[in-house]
Amino acid sequence: MTATHTVDLRVDPPMVAIDGFSSIPALFWHRVNANPERLVIREKDYGIWNEYTWADYGRNAKYAGLGLMALGLKPGDVCSIAAEVCKEWLFADLGVVCAGGITNGIYPTDVSNQVAYLVNDSGTRFYFAEDEEQLDKILDVRANTPSLEKIIIFDMEGLRNFEDDMCISFEALLDLGIAHEATHPGAWTTSINAADAEDLLTLTYTSGTTGPPKGAMISHRNMLYMMITLQRVCGIFDSDEQVAFLPLAHVAGRMFYTFATIEANSVINLVEDVETVIQDQQEISPSIHFAVPRVWEKQYSTILIKLKEGTAFGRWAYQLAIRIGSAAAVYRKAAAPVPLGLRAVAFAADQLVLKNIRRLLGIDEARWLSTAAAPIAPELIDWYWSLGKPMYEVYGQTECTGIITANEPGNLKIGSVGKAAPDAEVVLSDDGEVLLKSPGVIRGYWKQTKKTAETFKQGWLYTGDVGRIDEDGFLYVIDRIKDIIITAGGKNITPSEIENQLKFSPFISDAVVIGDKRPYLTCLVMIDQENVTKYAQDKDVPFTNYTSLCHTEAVQALIWDEVEKVNQKFARVETIKKCRLIDQLLDPEDEELTPTMKLKRKVVNQKYAGMIDEMY
Amino acid sequence: MSILELTNIETYYGPVMAIRGVSMSVREGEISVLLGANGAGKTTVLKTISGAMEPQKGKILFRGKEIQGIDPDKTARLGIAHVPEGREVFPFLSVQENLAIGAYTRNDNEVDDDIDLVYDYFPILAEKRKQQAAFLSGGQQQMLAIGRALMLRPALMLLDEPSLGLSPRLVGEIAEIIVRVNKEQNVTIFLVEQNAKMALDIGHYGYVMEVGRIVMEDSCKKLSQAADIQEFYLGVKDEGIRGRRRWKQRKTWR
Repeated sequence: MTATHTVDLRVDPPMVAIDGFSSIPALFWHRVNANPERLVIREKDYGIWNEYTWADYGRNAKYAGLGLMALGLKPGDVCSIAAEVCKEWLFADLGVVCAGGITNGIYPTDVSNQVAYLVNDSGTRFYFAEDEEQLDKILDVRANTPSLEKIIIFDMEGLRNFEDDMCISFEALLDLGIAHEATHPGAWTTSINAADAEDLLTLTYTSGTTGPPKGAMISHRNMLYMMITLQRVCGIFDSDEQVAFLPLAHVAGRMFYTFATIEANSVINLVEDVETVIQDQQEISPSIHFAVPRVWEKQYSTILIKLKEGTAFGRWAYQLAIRIGSAAAVYRKAAAPVPLGLRAVAFAADQLVLKNIRRLLGIDEARWLSTAAAPIAPELIDWYWSLGKPMYEVYGQTECTGIITANEPGNLKIGSVGKAAPDAEVVLSDDGEVLLKSPGVIRGYWKQTKKTAETFKQGWLYTGDVGRIDEDGFLYVIDRIKDIIITAGGKNITPSEIENQLKFSPFISDAVVIGDKRPYLTCLVMIDQENVTKYAQDKDVPFTNYTSLCHTEAVQALIWDEVEKVNQKFARVETIKKCRLIDQLLDPEDEELTPTMKLKRKVVNQKYAGMIDEMY
Repeated sequence: MSILELTNIETYYGPVMAIRGVSMSVREGEISVLLGANGAGKTTVLKTISGAMEPQKGKILFRGKEIQGIDPDKTARLGIAHVPEGREVFPFLSVQENLAIGAYTRNDNEVDDDIDLVYDYFPILAEKRKQQAAFLSGGQQQMLAIGRALMLRPALMLLDEPSLGLSPRLVGEIAEIIVRVNKEQNVTIFLVEQNAKMALDIGHYGYVMEVGRIVMEDSCKKLSQAADIQEFYLGVKDEGIRGRRRWKQRKTWR
């Protein structure tokens, strides 16, 4: 079953529809009614994969939506969801949207005062909290969130004796919905029919490196266009299985997990817990897989470390197999047939070595791998190709609802982020800034007219990225404009390129290159705890905790060696002269890290100013 | 100055690595404590020090001399007394005989004086000197085990969960004795405990262990104030907005 797509740019606003439906509720409800018995969600609970059909999905969303209406939800009201990936996230999301509301995802790692900011800025009336932990965060700040009316709790474990006028369980919400249907027959259908393509679907807050987070206003049209784009550039079949583990508060999570599943009629598998991702992924072995560079980097270093522990023969076999795989990948990248002789050797290498690695990583069944949301080292993409899996880098922003350029089968250049997707335009401004236009580009930021005017001009989205477009139309993103370093010597340097190479080391989890208005470059490194600990143990380096580990001479020498290796790839002015290790074990709840465990350049620069100054 | 120094110790049970690169030091004359949950590897650390287990890797320095891998009998002669978990007194021997066995490495003629010294510390043992050790209560057996270790005139005493299975009052008594032995007999103590409160109250310096690794070290005073220790080992919970909260913070060990 393939969905029909309509994208008409001749009208203003552009007309976008899937199977003739130009709003998410209409399309969703059509899917529910078209194949009620079909499996759509699997969720792992205490080690068991529970299955849910479209009928289950529809029923839960419907009664959640009607329940919210019973509580007084009006079209255009904002509902926030603070939860890890779980089925209730999807149920609540679609319930809110079909009832005419706007969903706002909150990262479960956000702390109370961030929650308060998001609730107040978005004017949230209804708040979904995953469990006790998420509930406590909102209760902590509810005295200062005047718009908040009701808190709905997904998981009542540990809350049996908890009573509060503002809080109800998700079950109770569904009961309210059932009761509401009895007194208001037809309310649900009316609400679905009332949905308009230009209505807001979701607010997605983007981390504010300058100022507080801004709510990107994504409309039904924006998301429908993104669903079509994903289908066009990636290809998602109704037989496809995805594993959902990235936060749904991020635009990538929403589009790949929630909405691509609705478009393609495929299956989404929700992991049990952050800690079980690897095992869950091995069990499901997804047929298509999107992840962020940090995940790909971690997988790569896991394999590298395992090899170091393995036998000399194992290492030799790996080296040989990956070389053969790399030779075969040259043809596969060009979608050309692999010459017969090579094909035979590649088959042997694949069956004997590479397949086992892919199985270990849970990507053996994957038709394609996709990466975005942060820069990635081209060598890493090559590695996955050599392993025998095509990996495509795509590029976009929350402000264009996700993807705008993509590498595609037979049409890719590794290191670039690909060409503009169908019905999208990508150009460069005079000073090299990447400008975007597509039906996915949003209207602006929620209640931020000034910021909106700065970012969206004459229909173009100003990305804040510097880029280059080659003669074939492939876009290369160089860096964030504001991150570009101009050294005291006047040399322009793009830190992310160097940082990507650093992160490629199995011992470096993340790095921030410093040098703006300074005589030379330096960097701060966050070590990969697991691998560095292992290294120290193997080399008999005494340490007690994370801090003392970072302070050992051996570890500092190890990291410096890795930095030196990277230095050799760059011109003299671009080499790092000194480096320091961040000696505190950071957690996503710390302000230095994003929810995806990337270092925030600005915060790091401020927090470690002392350490940075020491290097100059 | 440290009397005992562990560098990168790795100890296995068959294929299972129980101690994964542990480094720590015990300062002379102090009470050092090692905290950790079940299965963290605390007991294995003690067994590795006393020679009951052999480390695959790493060094143990006792008074500057390497002792890793040597027999328990030799470590005892060097002055390391191991009081194992669960007391392990000789059940069919009398209290007095148990104490005498503690002095088996000695050939001086002050053994009887030392037995009297132990009875001074534990008057209840004096009352029961003729009784079989099996008939002592748990607390008395613990006292006997400590007393037996004292008979060695050790420089370093390794205590493995002396509070195990004892009533709160007895725990308090044992804690007092440990402090007294440390001060009066000038015995360095290395105390492994699950009873974090007792250990941090009497200890000078502490280490926290999780799945075979040290995750935190500091003075006991500072440890008892660290947020993670309070939450995970001392059971202190800030009363949240809703009263008692059941979920736990992520550990950061800082």
